[in-house]
Amino acid sequence: MNTLFTLGAILVIIGGICDLFGAIGLLKFPNFYIRLHAATIGTIGGAAVPLFGVALLALSTNIPNKYAIAGASLITGIITLLAAPAGATALAYAAHKTNAVEWNPKTDHLKEARK
Amino acid sequence: MKRLIGLLTILITVLGVACYVAQNLTPPENLHPLGEYYLENSYFGEHSAKSPEAVTSILWDYRGVDTLFETAVFFLAIIGSLTLFRLNKEQAEEAKQGEPKPQLPEPVVVVTKLTVAMILAVSASIALHGQLTPGGGFQGGSALAVAPLLVIAAYTKYALEKNGLDKTRAIIIRSIGLLGIALTALTPLLVSGYIMQNQPIFPAKALGVPLGGSLVLYNLFEYLAVGAGFTAVFLLLSIPEEKFKKFLGVRR
Repeated sequence: MNTLFTLGAILVIIGGICDLFGAIGLLKFPNFYIRLHAATIGTIGGAAVPLFGVALLALSTNIPNKYAIAGASLITGIITLLAAPAGATALAYAAHKTNAVEWNPKTDHLKEARK
Repeated sequence: MKRLIGLLTILITVLGVACYVAQNLTPPENLHPLGEYYLENSYFGEHSAKSPEAVTSILWDYRGVDTLFETAVFFLAIIGSLTLFRLNKEQAEEAKQGEPKPQLPEPVVVVTKLTVAMILAVSASIALHGQLTPGGGFQGGSALAVAPLLVIAAYTKYALEKNGLDKTRAIIIRSIGLLGIALTALTPLLVSGYIMQNQPIFPAKALGVPLGGSLVLYNLFEYLAVGAGFTAVFLLLSIPEEKFKKFLGVRR
């Protein structure tokens, strides 16, 4: 097998590990903001990275329409890469602004910056 | 421990059912005669809609009148919600007053801009490829309506209105779409005496691309009408509650 295939397979495996850690974090983390971090691990590490891996895998083989598969995976990965952080930011902002969740920060950089 | 046993029982049951179903689920060997007729005639054959996508040709050609009435039901629902939110001129003007300032942090706003552009492109491709690939006017229009919804969420409804897409314009675009559907349905009446006839009145191909005759026109107009209809409803729904209570005269 060539380098592209190995690289793609490694990315897909990293995605699986990220998904597992994201799921464990979502169940075990104590409050909303840290759980949001776990959810983002699931979307970036667990969805965008393996999609890039799939693109590399498709390029390394000789299946029909391999460029279409690779391009679609790449674009879906990029869109996920853009949309997931924006969604997480919007959620965190809304939760912070409406004071909807409990929040006991050790350090509050936002408050320091606003002073 | 009890929960683990319950979980294991559910898991084993689901797996067992899945294995059982997968073994007994064989694809049917014989096509239904009606299905065979549609498959053979949607692109080739004498009673053809000249579209390789059998679903779209059934929807807008073989079963066209049915789809026309389905569309009418949807548009009556939109008319109903517009009537429910009816405002007079001053009230409509007051509902437009507001700060068109983004409500969310900078990264969300930037990503929204990119996403809106992508949604417009994808929804147009869903609608205009409806005669070639799965998709069509209603699906494309529903996807199109997500774009103004995103703008309303990330900016405000006032940003959408200041940039020229207010309720009146949305209703005008929707009416153009409906008029287009009606004209496309009635044109064959002048030529041959049948309503909603597709071939051979409308061209089957243009520049080598199969258009499916009237299918591409129906899809285009339905796309405009559905997208703009949803946009009008979203614009009305996003009027702040305080303003609406004032219009209705609700006492606090």
